[in-house]
Amino acid sequence: MISLRGVSLVYPNGVRALDNVSLEIGKGEFVFLVGHSGTGKSSLLRLLYREMGPSSGHIIVDGIRVDRLARGRIPALRRHLGVVFQDYKLLNDKTVWENVAFALQVTGAHTRDVQRQVPRALDLVGLGHKSRMYPDELSGGEQQRTAIARALVNNPKLLLCDEPSGNLDPANTTEIMELLRRINLKGTTVLVATHNQAVVDRMRRRVVRLDNGRVITDEERGYYFLGLGQDQILSG
Amino acid sequence: MKNEGTTSLDWGRIRFFLGEVQRNFTRNAGMQITAIGTVAVTIVMLGVFLYARSAFIHAESGIFNQIEISAYADPSATAPQEDTIRTALAKDPRILSVTFVPKREGLAQMRRLMRGEIDTSLLTENPLPDKFRIRVRDAQEVPAVAQSISRLPHVQNVEYGRQVVQRLLQLAAVMRPVGIAVIVLFLLVAGIIISNTIRLTVFARRREISIMQLVGATNMYIRMPFICEGLLAGIAGTAIAVGALALARASLVPKIASALPWLPINTVAIDVSALVLELFAVGAAVGAVASWIAVGRYLRA
Repeated sequence: MISLRGVSLVYPNGVRALDNVSLEIGKGEFVFLVGHSGTGKSSLLRLLYREMGPSSGHIIVDGIRVDRLARGRIPALRRHLGVVFQDYKLLNDKTVWENVAFALQVTGAHTRDVQRQVPRALDLVGLGHKSRMYPDELSGGEQQRTAIARALVNNPKLLLCDEPSGNLDPANTTEIMELLRRINLKGTTVLVATHNQAVVDRMRRRVVRLDNGRVITDEERGYYFLGLGQDQILSG
Repeated sequence: MKNEGTTSLDWGRIRFFLGEVQRNFTRNAGMQITAIGTVAVTIVMLGVFLYARSAFIHAESGIFNQIEISAYADPSATAPQEDTIRTALAKDPRILSVTFVPKREGLAQMRRLMRGEIDTSLLTENPLPDKFRIRVRDAQEVPAVAQSISRLPHVQNVEYGRQVVQRLLQLAAVMRPVGIAVIVLFLLVAGIIISNTIRLTVFARRREISIMQLVGATNMYIRMPFICEGLLAGIAGTAIAVGALALARASLVPKIASALPWLPINTVAIDVSALVLELFAVGAAVGAVASWIAVGRYLRA
């Protein structure tokens, strides 16, 4: 689903955000991307949905050569994947329903499809009953679920999450992670960038650890802290 | 994916799109009014200018058509000698028509013209020479034709409104480039102001635009509501301007015509509906192009 080979990203100010990163993520995987703030997690995600291009290296997402993608082809790429952010990025003057429908409407979907897919996405995230409410009438967790519904309404094969629980309390965080797990079970590849230790440790999924723009470890069923994971593995 | 069935007319989609345009338009109402006002002022100026210009062109052609060369035969010239002048004039392709005014008729004309001013009955003999009244095809040729006539044998004197002709020719030569420059300037000003207005709307909607880009809307789709907004501003401004111009024309033109009767304006011949169409086309184009540029800058950034 995702393939990075020797990907480096140097910002115009000279900061090297990613340094020779190679990574393969298969279809249907659930992967955590961990590391301190500023280690390149968000940069890596931005490369995947082509917010930026890499300075060097190859990037393939769902069979599309993202690193060489012409500007005019970017919308097509984005329709194949969903992106979720820490700050939800909802439109406060639109209802939950309208926020989710927006993703379809602005890509030229037929009203028939909007009316079929929006309720489906809202039911998936458990917000069918709140579809007429506005974002500021919802809890943080509900807002994030709305954002996830919007990311999924296109039925993407890949869901990218950048600190999805960054603004949420532990209860809501658990709720969102459970939702992501269910989404993953339905076959969607999920990539979550986070520095929430509890989440990573509880889920026990593949963990790719970045430090200073490099992949330093890549474990199946990992923990947030390398030391902790090894200790557990050694003692268990 | 879900783009099947786009061939059928989808009212839901059209409603959504119109809603977007309307939201754009009402979001910056204050700035929008400014933009419309600027377009209106610009189009009024442009309209007045074009109107005056075409009035002048009509007047100009009227004046030029009236320009005549008077060639006076030598008073001692005999009839056959005058015939040679006539033949020479007839051969010149630049000359449209020649009217011979014998001196007797010339005197009669003068009597009519001077009635009540000079007592022409005091004239004991006819002091006037025989005259040829010559009309030229192209006003630009008048000086050259006049000169070549003056070189003909038995022609004593040639007269034409030398100064008037030269002034008019100069004026006509200056009018066109100055007019174009002024129009271009007006349009630039209107375009910049519309462009800034659209940029404000774009800025107010940057969050929506970033989400649109995130979920895979094409730049064309993102642009459309803004282009429509610019178009609307351009058309609304033009409508106001055309209304104002129509009022002004109805109330002012007769006054000007009666206050300055010597002004050779011919407003009847002006094709007003073509002018209005031109103004609307210009207003709409300025709006659309300005917003295209404004959004384009944002989308590339």
